Amino acid sequence: MNWIQALLILAIVALLVYLLRSRTSARTKAWVKVGGVLFVIAAVYAVLRPDDTTVVANWLGVDRGADLIGYVLIIAFVFTTLSTYMRFKDLELRYARLARAVALQGARVPDDG
Amino acid sequence: MRYQDVWIVVPAYKEASVIGDVISDIRSVFDHVVCVDDGSKDGTGDLALRAGAHVVSHPVNLGQGAAIQTGVEYARSQPGAQVFATFDADGQHRLKDVIAMIDRLSTDDVDMVVGTRFAEPSASKPPLLKRIILRAAALLSPNSRQLRLTDAHNGLRVFNKKVADGLNITMNGMSHASEFIALAVENGWRVAEEPVEILYTDYSKSKGQPLLNGVNIIFDGLLRGRLSR
Repeated sequence: MNWIQALLILAIVALLVYLLRSRTSARTKAWVKVGGVLFVIAAVYAVLRPDDTTVVANWLGVDRGADLIGYVLIIAFVFTTLSTYMRFKDLELRYARLARAVALQGARVPDDG
Repeated sequence: MRYQDVWIVVPAYKEASVIGDVISDIRSVFDHVVCVDDGSKDGTGDLALRAGAHVVSHPVNLGQGAAIQTGVEYARSQPGAQVFATFDADGQHRLKDVIAMIDRLSTDDVDMVVGTRFAEPSASKPPLLKRIILRAAALLSPNSRQLRLTDAHNGLRVFNKKVADGLNITMNGMSHASEFIALAVENGWRVAEEPVEILYTDYSKSKGQPLLNGVNIIFDGLLRGRLSR
């Protein structure tokens, strides 16, 4: 085994431990955990047998496995960015409503009003 | 005094140098003014209160769209409020335009009257580049086209209780103008346009939004409706 493989697997296992330890117990989070475990299995496999990713890449008409992983990474990054953006917008709206409630409670009326 | 059922909503952010005059001016015609101090730290709220406005202060700066929503929510809860107007705090609007728009609201049997800078003939033309971009924004927006509006981003609007009750602006920043129009289309509000004059003073120009903000407005428009409310 190469050093890089050992390091990558170590990082992936650390990620798995972190993922499973987070105690947000919503149902949607459970699916995220299942997805995370599947991702970790696939990632460890890909690290141990990098040539196999090339086989999958060839099925899809891509020459090298590394290129395929690059493409997947780009798509995943775009999705993450977009969902983060939407989440921020949503949060901004709640924040505005909170500030509005505070503002309306503290309304000041002029003397002759 | 006339117009007892009218509430003027003035969103203000860091307008301490002009807000007192603007409020006093409005108060010479309209009794009921609510100034939404959008988290300014320069005493805008205190000056507006002294000039006779009701003051609602955001604890933090949220943007003009959020300020308008807050002001309308305050005004629509006041007893007897039937007609609402949004009026910019920088003194670029004329009171006689508001009065004309209020009259139009009752005579034309519409739900909302928005100001336009592009009716012919008009005395005050915005600078050329601004004119081109504003016209393009109005033409590019399917909602504006549907309602045959010529000016997408005019700060002067007059509307009735139905619109005030239904108003739910979610774009905090400067994209609220297109959202106003989108809400009108979604809710079937009848909209009319009234030619108004904008006083492009050095002050109002310096406070105006940079033209590049048009990019943000278009982008926000594309994403609107894809957010959970």
